[in-house]
Amino acid sequence: MKIKVTQEKLSKALNNISRIAVGKVTLPILNNVLIRVDNKKVSLITTNLDMAIIDFLPVSSSEDGVVTVPAKLLAEFVSNLPKGETIEISSKDTKVTITAGKYSSVINGTLADDFPELPEINEKNAIIYKMGIDEFKTSVNQVSIASSNDLSRPALTGVYFNTNKNTLAIAATDGYRLTEKKLIEKVESEVAAIVPSSSLQEVLRSINDEMEEIEISFNDDLVRFRLGEIEIISKLIDASFPDYQRLIPKDNNISVALNREELSRVTKLAALFARSVGGSIICETTTPDTFSVKSIANEFGENDSKLEAKVDKAGKVNLNSRFLLDALNALEETEINFSFSDHVAPILLTNKKSDKYTHIIMPLSS
Amino acid sequence: MYDVWQNVLAEIEQQISAANFSTWFQDTSLISTDNNRIIIGVKNSFYVKQLRARYLDLISTALRNNNIKVENIDFEVQSIPKLKSRSREIVKSPKQITERIKTIKTRASSTENHNNGLNNKYTLDNFVIGSNNELAVAAAKSIIASPGTRYNPFFLYGGPGLGKTHLVQAIGNELIKNNPDYKIFYTPISHFYSDFIDAIQSGKGKDFNRKFQKLDCLIIDDFQFIVNKEKSQEEFFNIFNDLYQLNKQIIVTSDRLPSQIKTVDERLASRLTWAGAFDLQLPKFEDKCAILRAKAELMGVDIEPEAIEYIAENVNTNIRDLEGEFSTILLMSEVRGLTPLELIKNGSVNVSRASKLRPVSSKQAVEKVAKYYNLATKDLQSKSRVSNIKNARQVAMYILSKELNLSTNKIASEVGVKDHTTVMHGIKKIEKDLKLNFALRDQIEEIKEKIYG
Repeated sequence: MKIKVTQEKLSKALNNISRIAVGKVTLPILNNVLIRVDNKKVSLITTNLDMAIIDFLPVSSSEDGVVTVPAKLLAEFVSNLPKGETIEISSKDTKVTITAGKYSSVINGTLADDFPELPEINEKNAIIYKMGIDEFKTSVNQVSIASSNDLSRPALTGVYFNTNKNTLAIAATDGYRLTEKKLIEKVESEVAAIVPSSSLQEVLRSINDEMEEIEISFNDDLVRFRLGEIEIISKLIDASFPDYQRLIPKDNNISVALNREELSRVTKLAALFARSVGGSIICETTTPDTFSVKSIANEFGENDSKLEAKVDKAGKVNLNSRFLLDALNALEETEINFSFSDHVAPILLTNKKSDKYTHIIMPLSS
Repeated sequence: MYDVWQNVLAEIEQQISAANFSTWFQDTSLISTDNNRIIIGVKNSFYVKQLRARYLDLISTALRNNNIKVENIDFEVQSIPKLKSRSREIVKSPKQITERIKTIKTRASSTENHNNGLNNKYTLDNFVIGSNNELAVAAAKSIIASPGTRYNPFFLYGGPGLGKTHLVQAIGNELIKNNPDYKIFYTPISHFYSDFIDAIQSGKGKDFNRKFQKLDCLIIDDFQFIVNKEKSQEEFFNIFNDLYQLNKQIIVTSDRLPSQIKTVDERLASRLTWAGAFDLQLPKFEDKCAILRAKAELMGVDIEPEAIEYIAENVNTNIRDLEGEFSTILLMSEVRGLTPLELIKNGSVNVSRASKLRPVSSKQAVEKVAKYYNLATKDLQSKSRVSNIKNARQVAMYILSKELNLSTNKIASEVGVKDHTTVMHGIKKIEKDLKLNFALRDQIEEIKEKIYG
C-alpha cells in the first residue's frame, strides 16, 4: 500500500476521524485507523462499534493495499509535520513508513484482518433525505440540547427523526424539556428513528466550510450521513420514543411576545439569585402589560426585573432558569413568544414569525 | 435455550482471542431455534456485520456440537438496556385477564368491516360493568341471547362519554358473532337524516326505507339530534313501525329521554320507551377505579393503586375524560421517567382541571345563578320561600359546593341562609332531582358554561 498526499489534507482527515478511535481497551484494534487503497480509491476508517467514520481522501498517487495504524499516534505525528509538505505513507506487512521531506518514521501497524467489517446501508430499501448542511447543523444544535444522557432511558439519549403529516422533523427530550424542529416539508417517505446524540455530535464536528449538502439515509437499524468526502454510519437506538406531539401544549391561555435578548438578560440576573434554589425563577404576567422575572434567595436577597409586553391575562409560572436560557439561546428571532397556562402545563417557547422550532419546558412546582 | 447458548459461547471462547470474544460475543443471546432457523440477538448492526462476516462458521459448528440443527443463521438487533431497577410495584395480572386482553387485541386487530357501521373494537368483554350501568348491561345481555323479544325497542340514555355507543356497538358485535348472517345496521341519527335528504334530492325518497326493511336489527345512535327534522322523524317512525311489527330488534341511544327532546312526536316518544328506558349514570368512585384498572391491563402498563384512586377521585365529568386524563398521565410518566404516583405527588400533573376549569369567586357564581333565573342577587339571598327563588338558591348552593368546593358554612353565608344544615338539605335535594330531572341537568350545565365561559 502506498499513498501520497499533502500534509493539510491528511492532517485534517486524521484529526476528524481519530476522535472516535479511543478508549476500547477490550479490542485494541479499535484504536487504529484502517487505511485502505482499493482501485486507487483511498479510504480512512475508524469505528467504535456504535458508529464509524469513513473519509474518502483524495490523493495524488497511490498503490492498492490495506493496513491499520494507531490513529492518535498517526494523527499527532502528521499534524506536527510542516505544512505544505507532501507525505508518503507506505506499508510492508505491518511496518508502516511515513516520510515527508527530511522527516521519516516507522510505525508498527497491525494486519487489517482483525479490523471489524462495517455494516452497510442497503441502498434499495433505504429512505433518503437531502438538505442544506448549514440548516442541518443549526437544527441539530437547537434540538440536541434537550437530549438526555441518562443511559437507563436509552430512547431519550438520541434525537428522534420522524415524519408527521409529510414533514420531516427532529425532536429530543430529557423529561424536563422538549425540542422539535421541522426540517423538510412535503417529504414522501416516512421515518421514525432515534439517532444517538453522540453520533450526531460527530456529524456536526465533521462539517467544514466547503460542504453544502448532507444526505441522510435510513435502514432498519442503521443511519448514514454523507457530507463531502465523509461518510458517517451509526447504529440507531432500538427503543420507542414517546409520542411527543401530545406533549406540546395546544391550549396555553397566557401568551406574551418578548424581546429575546432582554428576556435573556433579566433571566441571567434572576439566575444569580436562584442558585441556592436550584435555579428556580418565577415568570409572572400582570395586567396591564408587565412581564416580570423574579427570584428569591433567602440568604442573599431577591431580584425582580420587569419587561414591557402586551399582557391580556395575569398568571405566573416557576421554571428552571438554566433551561430558559438554553431555550433563548436556541431561538433565533428578535421577538419570541412565551406562553404558559394558569393550570399546570408545559411552557411553550417559539419564534414569533417562524413556526419551525418548538421548545417546551416543564414548569417547576411552586 | 439459555443454557445451550452458554455452552456454545464457552466453546467459541476457547477458539478465539479473549479480546475478540468479549467484544463480539459478550451481549449476544439465542432468541430462537425454531425450524432449525437460528436467530441470534446482538447489540447493534455493527455486530451483525462482523459476526456474519467473520464468525458464522464458528457459530454454526459450535451450535451443531451442542446438538442443534442449523439451516441458516440470522441476527436480530436487540438492545439490552441496562435499566436501573426501579422500585415499581408490579402486580402480575391474573392469567385470565391477560388472556382476555389477548383475545380482545387479536379480535380488534382483525378488523372486518361488513359495512354495517359497527366497529369491532367495542365488545362486551372490554366494557367495564359497575353499579352505574349494570341494569343496562343485563338488558343488553338479554337482547344478545334473544333479540327482538323482551327489550324491544331498547332505549339507552345518559350523558356524553358514559359508554352508550360502546354498549350498543357491543350488542351489535355480539349478535353478529352468534349469527354471522344476522343483518345489522348501526348509524348515528345524523347520518340517517343526511342519507335521507340525499335520497330525497336524488328522487329516491320513497325507496329510502327499503334498505331498512331487510334488517334484523337497527341501531340508532345520538337520537337527540333528530330535533327539528320532522320529515326524517316521520321516515324513522315508519321504519320503526315496520321493523317492530316484524319483531326485529331496534336499539336507540340518546342523551335524554325522548319526551325531553323538543319537537319529538308524542307517538314516537312513547313507542321508543315501550320496553322501558335504561340509563347509564356517572360512575361512582369504585366504578372509576375498576375502569382505570381494566384500561391499565389492556394497555399492559403498571400503575400504582394510589395513582388510580387519585385520578378516579379527581375526574368527575365522564368516562371519556377519565380515560383521557389517564393516558395523559401515562405519557408524562413515560417521558419523565417517574412513576404516575411520583408525578402526582410532585405536582407535575393537575388532573382536576378538567372538572374544575378556571377559578371563579363565590360572589360571581351566585350572581350568575341569580341572573340565569332572572332574579336579583339580593332576592336569591333573601329569606323568600317562593318556589322559583328557593330553587335557584338551592342550585347556587349545589354549584358552590361542587364547583368551588366551599364548606357548607361558607355557602350558608354566601346565599343568605341560616345554617349549614339548610345548605346540606338543599344540595341533597338538587342531587336527587338531577337523577330524574333532565331540565335541571341542562340548566346546571348552562349555568356552569356561563360561570366559566
